Amino acid sequence: MYRGREGQWAFILHRLSGVALALFLLLHVVDISLVMFGPKVFNAFLAFYHQWPFRIGLILVMGGVIYHALNGLRIIIMDFTDWGVKWQRQMWYAVMVLTAGLGFMILTKVVPEIIRG
Amino acid sequence: MAVQPKTLKQAKATYSTNSELAWWVFMRVSGLILIFLVAGHIVMNNIQINVASVDYGYVAERFSKGWVKVYDTFLLFFAMLHGVNGLRYNVEDYVKNPRRRALAKIILFTIAGIIFVMGATTLWAFSFEEMGDAVRNLGGSH
Repeated sequence: MYRGREGQWAFILHRLSGVALALFLLLHVVDISLVMFGPKVFNAFLAFYHQWPFRIGLILVMGGVIYHALNGLRIIIMDFTDWGVKWQRQMWYAVMVLTAGLGFMILTKVVPEIIRG
Repeated sequence: MAVQPKTLKQAKATYSTNSELAWWVFMRVSGLILIFLVAGHIVMNNIQINVASVDYGYVAERFSKGWVKVYDTFLLFFAMLHGVNGLRYNVEDYVKNPRRRALAKIILFTIAGIIFVMGATTLWAFSFEEMGDAVRNLGGSH
């Protein structure tokens, strides 16, 4: 059984987070490149970027990074060890627990910053 | 690519070309490298500081340091290749029409190429040392 089971959810989330992170990467290289226009333009742009909707977006990006990195490790283990496929379901639950834990730590750091403004 | 090969042996049997096998290996090797590079990037710019404090002075000072140029060049190189190849996998899998698929890939590689050059230019061709000093002398930064 594959369809609808943990392995398929892991795959779907890996693709979704991967596409989101790749699009963010393209945007992020462009926005940091704006530094070449000098302090006036760049600081004005950053003031816009530091508003709370974008900061919540950054939390989602960091959550996506954590999931994609940990599930990527799970994929590598499945591909290059002889025991990885047998334990893939348990490893996916470990990925979810670790993502939630690290995500919570980031929330405790970033949410107060956003509320303080 | 609808069914992903699960082992190196299966991957070798699945991919008809050496280049697809090379990309399969590259995604795993670059993924492992990126875990460390991206973790360091997030800790430096989002955890150790409040990201809202980032301004021109912060970025210009960072990009004036040699080790940041090297670090960010590796990050840019591996992240762009890993990310754009991942987007290509999605195009291969979900854009069914061959002509549209070819067009989608040309557009993707063109945009990615332009953005890569932008990033590399920012890191290496632009003088933040001079720009940074000029701004500091004006009292414009921090």
